[in-house]
Amino acid sequence: MRIILKYTRGERVKYISHLDLMRTMQRAVRRADIPIAYSQGFNPHPIMAFASALAVGITSEGEYMDIVLSVPMSLPVLKEKLNHALPKGIAILDVMEIDKKAPSLMSLIERADYKVTAMGIDWNRALTAYGEAPEILVEKQGKRRVTTIDLKDSIYSIGVDQENQETLHLSMKIGSKGSLKPEFVVETLLKLSGQDTDQWEGLGIPASIHRTGLYYRINGEWVTPLFRKKD
Amino acid sequence: MDKLLLDRIMSQVTKPVRYMGNEYNMVEKNSNEVSIRFAFAFPDVYEVGMSHLGMKILYHWLNERVDTYCERVFAPWVDMEEKMRESEIPLFSLETKTPIAEFDIVGFTLQYELSYTNILNMLDLAGIPLLAEQRTKEHPFVIVGGPCAYNSEPIADFVDLVTLGEGEELISELLDEYKKWKGSGESRRAFLERAAQIPGIYVPSFYDVTYLEDGRVESVKPNTNVAKEQVAKRIVHDMDQVYFPDRIIVPFMDIVHDRIMLELFRGCTRGCRFCQAGMIYRPVRERSQERLLEMAEKLVKSTGYEEVSLSSLSSSDYSSLEDLVKQLMKRFEEKRVALSLPSLRLDSFDKEYIQEMQKVRKTGLTFAPEAGSQRLRDVINKGVTQEDLVSAVSDAFESGWNSVKLYFMIGLPTETQEDLQGIADLTKEVAQCYYRADRAKRQKGLKITVSTSSFVPKPFTPFQWVPQDAMEQLRKKQEFLKRALRMKNVNYNWHDPETSLLEAAFALGDRRLGRVLLSAWKKGAKFDGWSEQFNMKAWMEAFEENNLQPEFYAHRKREKDEVLPWDHIDVGVTKAFLWHEWQKALKGETTPDCRIDCSGCGIRRLGEGLC
Repeated sequence: MRIILKYTRGERVKYISHLDLMRTMQRAVRRADIPIAYSQGFNPHPIMAFASALAVGITSEGEYMDIVLSVPMSLPVLKEKLNHALPKGIAILDVMEIDKKAPSLMSLIERADYKVTAMGIDWNRALTAYGEAPEILVEKQGKRRVTTIDLKDSIYSIGVDQENQETLHLSMKIGSKGSLKPEFVVETLLKLSGQDTDQWEGLGIPASIHRTGLYYRINGEWVTPLFRKKD
Repeated sequence: MDKLLLDRIMSQVTKPVRYMGNEYNMVEKNSNEVSIRFAFAFPDVYEVGMSHLGMKILYHWLNERVDTYCERVFAPWVDMEEKMRESEIPLFSLETKTPIAEFDIVGFTLQYELSYTNILNMLDLAGIPLLAEQRTKEHPFVIVGGPCAYNSEPIADFVDLVTLGEGEELISELLDEYKKWKGSGESRRAFLERAAQIPGIYVPSFYDVTYLEDGRVESVKPNTNVAKEQVAKRIVHDMDQVYFPDRIIVPFMDIVHDRIMLELFRGCTRGCRFCQAGMIYRPVRERSQERLLEMAEKLVKSTGYEEVSLSSLSSSDYSSLEDLVKQLMKRFEEKRVALSLPSLRLDSFDKEYIQEMQKVRKTGLTFAPEAGSQRLRDVINKGVTQEDLVSAVSDAFESGWNSVKLYFMIGLPTETQEDLQGIADLTKEVAQCYYRADRAKRQKGLKITVSTSSFVPKPFTPFQWVPQDAMEQLRKKQEFLKRALRMKNVNYNWHDPETSLLEAAFALGDRRLGRVLLSAWKKGAKFDGWSEQFNMKAWMEAFEENNLQPEFYAHRKREKDEVLPWDHIDVGVTKAFLWHEWQKALKGETTPDCRIDCSGCGIRRLGEGLC
């Protein structure tokens, strides 16, 4: 039985790395006695895959993981047991069964949405500069070499929150070919609009980055991994 | 605590998860509802401290008390410390981010001598006066415990009291006394006087130390009626009854020992003469198989850990080890929990059950012959023979292991060139065993790692009178071994002996070293156990400025009549026994395992029915 789980990662635990998170999930599954399937071979590990790694310091309300069970289990029971076994700060929001042969989450996900909240930044100024620039060339560090790309190609949409001027909405391209980091995008925008980045680097100003969702396209329409779920 | 500021700082340092807390099984209490706030301080970074079994036990044990909230604090890494000082954030607890100075009691565990500067540094970061005599009622009591506490003289100036021996019962009594004192309005000294009457508590300020002209200690005497001439350690009698937590914190971060540690028994009966643990943790007290199985079940369930390690000074000496392992395997094989046996003695290596363990997970095998020749092994009373080693590694190779670690010490008393050559010869022999092993059964790619550590004489061992080798001598020996071990498939690990000199000075040191410690810390010494942080220059200057030499402590041969700085502490084993063992060592005579034949070490004096 193959299952997708949607989970959150809150303030309380945001400093864990992706590896830490994987380990945490593995142990929670064991505590909850969930009959997860193991891989074959010399060093068997639980069959668990993640849609996208979340960087240290970033919170999220919509992450996804994909597990395979060796024995079928009731989904509401799985959700409850797992939530009970997880540390506070990580919670399973939803679960759904999927086809065993469905492609991996990581190969599907194309877009990540973020909310960046920072004090003392003029987002509107940054957006104006963004709009005026025909292209914004940046260097991207690859495994072997540095390439130059247009930052604008990586952004699906960008805008200031209607109610809260301190919050920027950012919708970015992500994929298995590598993605730009949201902090990097923001840093570049600040530089572009002549705002002080000394404080920004390493999140020196009070700022928080929160991922609001992960998406992919089906027939041109953006969906989340749980879109097939019937309520 | 400015949480916003703390958050900003954490996002600028490496591994901020070290300072985050919020792990599964972390204890959360309302600090307003407790009478005692206890900060358990481990003087190293999170990932080192969280591997320590003692802390896990005491943390959960103290939190069983409704009147107490025990929180943890570790040494912030250098980058975090810098930011904290810059932003004026004091040292804080992990659970509630409360400044440590607001706690009632701060307890440090003394695991190794090179952690002492970190203790001073943490006190300073917390805003607690370093010198005990400067603390007022506003400040917490600073207490210490752990293996190095048996000779706490070098840090005596900085601690209010020392707990000797096993903490479980002792700490409860101490906290009960503390609660009474807190409500009484009495002075700080009054609490110390109350505490001094609890068996196992040593209050350094209640003793005066005098010195002879030549620098040796003349006497250590109580300066008040409340203090005993000799303070004996506490022993827990019933290992099955004593507390062991049902649930332990599961760190998010990858820590040094990330698994459940099942304490099989305390103490050791082998009597290896260099080993302090073997002497100070006597007598041997085992846990029953039933209790261990119960503990293992509960812990696996409450933590989800993938590995259980059977932990004790000499695990293979546990009386029903094979059976225990079989039982554990039966219960956990389905759950895919791996078992590991960290310390295996060569002379009780059983191929069959090792093969059993291999089924779930294979870890590299480590053996500690410690000395390269039978003669020297007899001197140190490590009764392991070449045949034992050959047989063990041959079995291992035929069972599919291809990686073996061999631990030795250099600088042992009476050591000669032949003994060093013996290390190389033994290594060659181990390689030969591999090549002799059945090709069909052995795995490809032999890897032998030889590690030598520099011998450090420790208090309360038969070798406490032995001078350590000078650094130059040790370096020469390492050079010799580097050449002698230049063999295919062999890797030789060694460390510069500078830290060993310092370790010996502090292990065998007296109260005057407190000044040296303070000076060294002021010069920026910290994380001395980390090679990239260790600052020998600061230490040498610190010694010089205080008119002391590390060689006086480390390189001096002591005689029978010398008053040792720790003679007023009683660990059970008597000084007479230790001297007798030292004399036997010089003659190359061994002492049998005391399960076979009691050697009268003296531990029985400390209680009825022990041993």
